[in-house]
Amino acid sequence: MRIGLLTEGGYPYVSGDARLWCDRLVRGLGQHEFDIYALSRSRQQEDEGWLPLPPQVSRVRTAPVWTAEDDGIGYARRARRRFAACYEDLARAVCIDSDDQADRFASALYGLAELARDEGGLVGALRSETAVGALERACRAPGASRTAREARVPDLLTVAAHLERALRPLSLDWYGDDSLGSVDLCHATAGGAAAVPGLLARHFSGVPLLVTEYGVQLRSHYLATGAGTESPAVRALLAVFHRRLAAETYARAALVTPGNTHARRWQERCGADRAKIRTVYPGMEASRFAEVGESQEPADTDTLVWVGRVEPAKDLVSLLHAFAEVRRAQPKARLRVVGAPADPEGQAYLGHCRALAAQLFPDEADGVHAVGDNPVSFEEIGGPEAPTLADAYASGAVVVLSSVVEGFPIGLVEAMFCGRATVSTDVGAVVEVIGGTGLVVPPRNPRALAEACVALLRDPERRARLGAAARARALELFTVEQNIAAFHSIYLEVVSRCPVRRVVLDGAGEPLPFAVPAEAHIPGRWTGPASRVLARGGPGWASTAPDPVAATSSAAAEGAR
Amino acid sequence: MSGLGELDRPGTPVSPGAWDTRSEGWLFAEPNDPDEPNEPNATDEPNVTGGAGVTHTTHTTDTAHATNTADTADTADTGDVMRAPTGVAARTTSGALTGTRPMGGGRGAGGAAGAGSGAKRGSTGRRGAADPVKTLMHRHRELCERAVDPLEIAAGLEAHGITERTAARFRHRDVFSLAEEMYARVPRDADQPPPPARTAPAARARADWALRALLPGALTGLTLAGVHLTDGRARFLVAAAGVLAVALGAGVALRRGPLSAPSGTHTWRPVGRTQAGAWWLFGYALLGDGLLGAALSGGPDGLPNGTADGPWPLTAAPVLALTLACAPAAWCAHLFTIHARRRLAGSRGLAEFAAGVRPLLLGTFALFLCALAALAALSGAVLREPAAYPETLALGALLLLARLLTVHRLPHPAALAVTAAATTEVLAPALVLTSHLPGCAFLAVPVEALVDAWGPGAVPTLACATAALALLLHASRSLTRASAHAPTGEQT
Repeated sequence: MRIGLLTEGGYPYVSGDARLWCDRLVRGLGQHEFDIYALSRSRQQEDEGWLPLPPQVSRVRTAPVWTAEDDGIGYARRARRRFAACYEDLARAVCIDSDDQADRFASALYGLAELARDEGGLVGALRSETAVGALERACRAPGASRTAREARVPDLLTVAAHLERALRPLSLDWYGDDSLGSVDLCHATAGGAAAVPGLLARHFSGVPLLVTEYGVQLRSHYLATGAGTESPAVRALLAVFHRRLAAETYARAALVTPGNTHARRWQERCGADRAKIRTVYPGMEASRFAEVGESQEPADTDTLVWVGRVEPAKDLVSLLHAFAEVRRAQPKARLRVVGAPADPEGQAYLGHCRALAAQLFPDEADGVHAVGDNPVSFEEIGGPEAPTLADAYASGAVVVLSSVVEGFPIGLVEAMFCGRATVSTDVGAVVEVIGGTGLVVPPRNPRALAEACVALLRDPERRARLGAAARARALELFTVEQNIAAFHSIYLEVVSRCPVRRVVLDGAGEPLPFAVPAEAHIPGRWTGPASRVLARGGPGWASTAPDPVAATSSAAAEGAR
Repeated sequence: MSGLGELDRPGTPVSPGAWDTRSEGWLFAEPNDPDEPNEPNATDEPNVTGGAGVTHTTHTTDTAHATNTADTADTADTGDVMRAPTGVAARTTSGALTGTRPMGGGRGAGGAAGAGSGAKRGSTGRRGAADPVKTLMHRHRELCERAVDPLEIAAGLEAHGITERTAARFRHRDVFSLAEEMYARVPRDADQPPPPARTAPAARARADWALRALLPGALTGLTLAGVHLTDGRARFLVAAAGVLAVALGAGVALRRGPLSAPSGTHTWRPVGRTQAGAWWLFGYALLGDGLLGAALSGGPDGLPNGTADGPWPLTAAPVLALTLACAPAAWCAHLFTIHARRRLAGSRGLAEFAAGVRPLLLGTFALFLCALAALAALSGAVLREPAAYPETLALGALLLLARLLTVHRLPHPAALAVTAAATTEVLAPALVLTSHLPGCAFLAVPVEALVDAWGPGAVPTLACATAALALLLHASRSLTRASAHAPTGEQT
């Protein structure tokens, strides 16, 4: 089967988002062909080049969204009228913030795409006075939202420029029968701009669309514009545009796969049908934690470990206060803070935490003749105490997470892979990740954190039990193999439920019957010599699972039962 | 030990109860019962960290009670007596505090105080206010005021660590419904004054382009001086080098600043056509009148020798005036850009903007023509040539308008007008020269009539003025559109 992988500022580029996941996916599903359609985000990204691509990537097409090539085509009268009508609809759908405008938005979007395919020259038209004038009329029209009414001329120009940028994928030449029209499934690796080519491929050629979102694009848009200096009118109009685009994407997608419940909630909120949503957790490399996770030797029984990037959102101050409480109950307890700051703010925060630790905990020694040491140590991965990440986790009896803000807690999953008992704050996706296999306390509550830590430090049996359960859970849910297997089955599900119906015409323009046989959708190269041998025993796709799934560790299989 | 689920179920503490036995002790000791003044634990409390506040209260009550029982008659003194032991008690507690926390930085003491008040809070309800959402709105008031829809508040709240469990504390099903309530409750004044218009980052006058704009004029002046001072072969070499230098200087002057053309592969073709046309027009201004005059009188009889009185005379004054006018042109374009942007920021509608920019465009244009006329007079006086006002002004107007249109991303009409003017100026001498062939004399009739009526300068004046007028009409429509002044916003 041929998959069109759609990315924006992502996969084949060295500095792309989610490139690791895409790379694992493409390498893991070697029985499919992948065509990559990538939108690049900046010149710097383009200059940095691509990752090495595996042989199953048969084609890569890229297009910049950071610069627009106005092809200089001016529209004739008829095309101009067509453009004006479509853009007027689009502007109205963006300015009038009510739910009955969704259809108008969709028809305007596809109308503009058809215009771009037939005539070209959309970039220039989107920047023209016609577009700005249409926006102005829509803002002053009855029914327009209150904020939209306040739009001034610079706001209109800004909105028009943003729309032009957001609609750049419409001008690409990706939708012919030799490109996206020829794939069996479009897999958009993010919402927003990355999904637009998938929407158009679905519109033009009926290719089913699968949307994977690890972070909801609409939410990132809100967070990005919230910090900006745009006027309220601009932010209101753009918010409606991106919301409508997200709603259209979710409505047209065959399946939507959020990466966690948080993303799922946003998608449901934006109109994704529950029946279409399948949560697929991100996969992580479990093998580097296998040795630590499976070793039976008890760890240092008095050590708490915190691992992560040092920044204010991690609330290390609260952790240090909690540790002060822990010390009162367990005087031999020690705390290791393993991690490095990423930015100057984190650097300052780390300095602050060091000073606080020195204030709270005096150095102490075993006897009057020994050199003392502080019970709280700050280390970095790669240092003599913690040469690898796994060693850092292995050195503690309990792993602590004290964040006040967290997305998907990767550190927590790593601790689970290592089979460590954990105490974490109830933020982000923590509860969802940990399930029942660790202790969870409210954020900004050092006393509760300390209580939980003390409870675990005093009870080695409970610690071991929780650690084993956590490792089993992580191996079941968060391995690369489960991620790839999930997408393998989702691909099959999508292609079997809504296959592309292609009508091939012969020379005389008559439909050619049986031109696309059903076997064309069988995964793998069914005409290849290897699969022909296999086909004797039964259908090739039934007998051969993808290689990485066969390699799923036995622990994961046990956990699944 | 029946299973994991029962034992280690994650959850937040839901009741404001005690965390452990010790905190339980504080909780129950707190509502001091005056009937039991001598609580046996009270004096031991200072050893326990964080119990400072409690100890304080107990001591006070204790002493007060004792005083009351000892001397009930002297009520006037009671206050003083009471006050004194309170101070002692306070001192004791602070001593106890520092005693239990020997490392006691400010942070440690604050922590102890925080713990004490935390215990108190637990029993009275965390915030005390009846409306917890209001408190939350106050904490995130900037977010609430800025938000343009509830989802923006939801995204902001989540970024501050508010989860579904937190939302449940505010009696909401999820963060979205909490955000909706907050969005609905933000006071929105109907007649709130609109936020002050942001002033777009105005293009500042920069020394680099201001100096560069002087370059073509200076180079032309030097070349003319060189041509004037040299003779024969050297003069030819100086003239060739001067033309090359002026061409390069003009390129440098137009590369940056308010007269620079926007980059883009689709624009190079019309921009190139405009430039080729402009060079032809310059060449004609220098040599064309002499050629036309010579051709009409049967010549030319020789190549130009660099003087105004040879067989093919040069007219250097217009060229000097026009190259010097690069600087006022740059300043005019700069003024136009700045004022147009200012007007853009201040106008509410497209029509209002157009109405405001039109006089601005015409004013800028008139200003440039005045400057050019002055320069023409100056260069005529310096070179001791008649200042050819009409042709200089017409050519300058055409070139300025063409450049303005190119700068504002409308290169096609500019190229068209300049090419048309250049073609006319090619045709005029070509027709005259062709008329020397036998039987073709009729071809020169229109040019001859024109030259007879108004002199040889009439041909370029007419060609350039017509094209400039057409461009002025076009510019008064297209340069008054807001989209022509949109910031390009290209990322690099």
